[in-house]
Amino acid sequence: MRIRSPIDFWAGIVFIAVATAFIVFSLQYNLGTMHRMGPALFPTLVGALLACFGLAIALRSFVVDGPSMPRFHARPLLVSAAAIVLFGIVLRSLGLVVAVAAVVLVGAFAARDRHLIETGALAMALIAFSVAIFVWLLGLPLPLWPAS
Amino acid sequence: METLANLAFGMGVALSAQNLFYCFIGVFLGTLVGVLPGIGPVATVAMLLPFTFGLGPAPALIMLAGIYYGAQYGGSTTAILVNIPGESSAVVTTLDGYQMARRGRAGPALGISAIGSFIAGCIATLVVAWFAPPLAEVALKFGPAEYFSLMVFGLIAAVVLARGSVLKAIAMVCLGILLGLIGTDVNSGTIRFAFGQPELADGIGFVALAMAFFGITDVVLNLEQGTKKDVLSERIGRVLPSREDLRRCTGSILRGTALGSLLGILPGGGALLASFAAYMVEKKVAKPPRSFGEGDIRGVAAPESANNAGAQTSFIPMLTLGIPSNPTMALMIGALMIQGIAPGPQVMTERPDLFWGLIASMWIGNLMLLVLNLPLIGLWVKLLAVPYRLLFPAIFVFCCIGVFTVDNKIFDVYALAALSLVSYLLIKLECEPAPLVLGFILGPMMEEQMRRAMMINFGDISVFVTRPLSAAFLIAAAVLMILIALPSLGAKREIAMRE
Repeated sequence: MRIRSPIDFWAGIVFIAVATAFIVFSLQYNLGTMHRMGPALFPTLVGALLACFGLAIALRSFVVDGPSMPRFHARPLLVSAAAIVLFGIVLRSLGLVVAVAAVVLVGAFAARDRHLIETGALAMALIAFSVAIFVWLLGLPLPLWPAS
Repeated sequence: METLANLAFGMGVALSAQNLFYCFIGVFLGTLVGVLPGIGPVATVAMLLPFTFGLGPAPALIMLAGIYYGAQYGGSTTAILVNIPGESSAVVTTLDGYQMARRGRAGPALGISAIGSFIAGCIATLVVAWFAPPLAEVALKFGPAEYFSLMVFGLIAAVVLARGSVLKAIAMVCLGILLGLIGTDVNSGTIRFAFGQPELADGIGFVALAMAFFGITDVVLNLEQGTKKDVLSERIGRVLPSREDLRRCTGSILRGTALGSLLGILPGGGALLASFAAYMVEKKVAKPPRSFGEGDIRGVAAPESANNAGAQTSFIPMLTLGIPSNPTMALMIGALMIQGIAPGPQVMTERPDLFWGLIASMWIGNLMLLVLNLPLIGLWVKLLAVPYRLLFPAIFVFCCIGVFTVDNKIFDVYALAALSLVSYLLIKLECEPAPLVLGFILGPMMEEQMRRAMMINFGDISVFVTRPLSAAFLIAAAVLMILIALPSLGAKREIAMRE
């Protein structure tokens, strides 16, 4: 047996894993009857369906040729996610102005080429824009500055 | 006649100064994101949700709708001048549009796409006005079994019409449904799959999900590939097509509009499918001499008309059934719910101002787009010079602020980051995100309808096939599945998608 379509194989595995997790977690909830469906019934049904399709996708990858695994580039993805998480952490304690600066300055590292001065200017512009539009114009309840 | 009276009433709503203003903002922003590659209407609508909180439902919906159909106009500009589709629905426009531009006919190509879109938009507005009310009337008679089967049909149709592997698309639907079930079960009060996180009791935020799959992941993928642009810097010249061009295109525009209107109504349809189908039909039926692929103006006129018509008629299932046919419509439903309106057939009777105002605003919006696009085309072209490294941090900022302000929950910001990782993995494994997003929205509704159907019928599953309308939906879904499983048709679909 040889995996002829690695992308499909791994997609199938991911689906089976997620389906199994949902079915296992459903066990702790009440299944009910068909007449009075409990909270576990529908997720179990859909989970079983997902597991079947995941299995079909994984098995099919042994039969039908498909593309090989793509290249994963860790940097843009992880830097982007980190910038967003940082926004969340900073917004609560230090307010919108610092949070926007943080997400722009950290987020810029997701790209290959960097222009420090330009990024700084961009951060200033986006801070001004966000404060003007979201806080002053729309009146959204965002803390502007560090809570004292 | 009643339709006309209703449209006149809608005009009255849409022509109020406030609604005109938000309609303009909508189509303006729509054109903007349409022109800018790397950011689509789904992400834009998601980012702009906070702008609509302070508005009433009518201006909110009018603005968001303007973004969607405005993006169809803008998408063609990049397709023609840069050979990069600004929107996925403009992919086929690159084929003949860019060739026309290389032959020095960029002006007429841009002109005909704006004119075709305008004509299509006008006709599609009437289609919505005529078809939505009778459909809503039928929908009012639906019981839970019918609703459940309709949603099954809708999801299957969305899967069959999506790109890529059907098996994976169905799996993505299931995954979306499961993700949608996270949170408190309304019937029993049980908190499901929350891993003890109190914030997850409300479920995963839909805005976070949509932004992760259509905003952040797009940015990440663009950064991986590195964007290279090759803007055609030659003068665009005369934008107005010649009379000869117009005469050749009349049939194409009308065919594209008809096809687009039809495909827009189907679940999973909308602008993208419409433009592909229209181009393929046009290649077969256009009068010779044909030069498709080498700058035939009809190859621009037909898909551009179709995607605009499809964008507008895809509002029909959303407005009448409360069922989204694509991720943008799913966001519209989200916007309505934030406004405290449950989407469904009752909206038309209970909130006629909202319904007819939206439809009338589509026509006005199309007129605005014509003005925005024909004389101001040079301005949009200049925007193409904005480097991506300035654009993507702005997308991050607007996504972060947008997702936070929906519920004022920091947790949603973290959810956005986590979902972006999930979405990246799935998209790298060549799983299309659209079916997952539809499943996410429809999952809880399906569970609810299935529960009600079972409750009424004492747990007898056969109710789904013994009620005629419900059976019809399920049979239609089954037929679609069989059609796609047949090897000959499957191969055709593949060719069609590749073209």
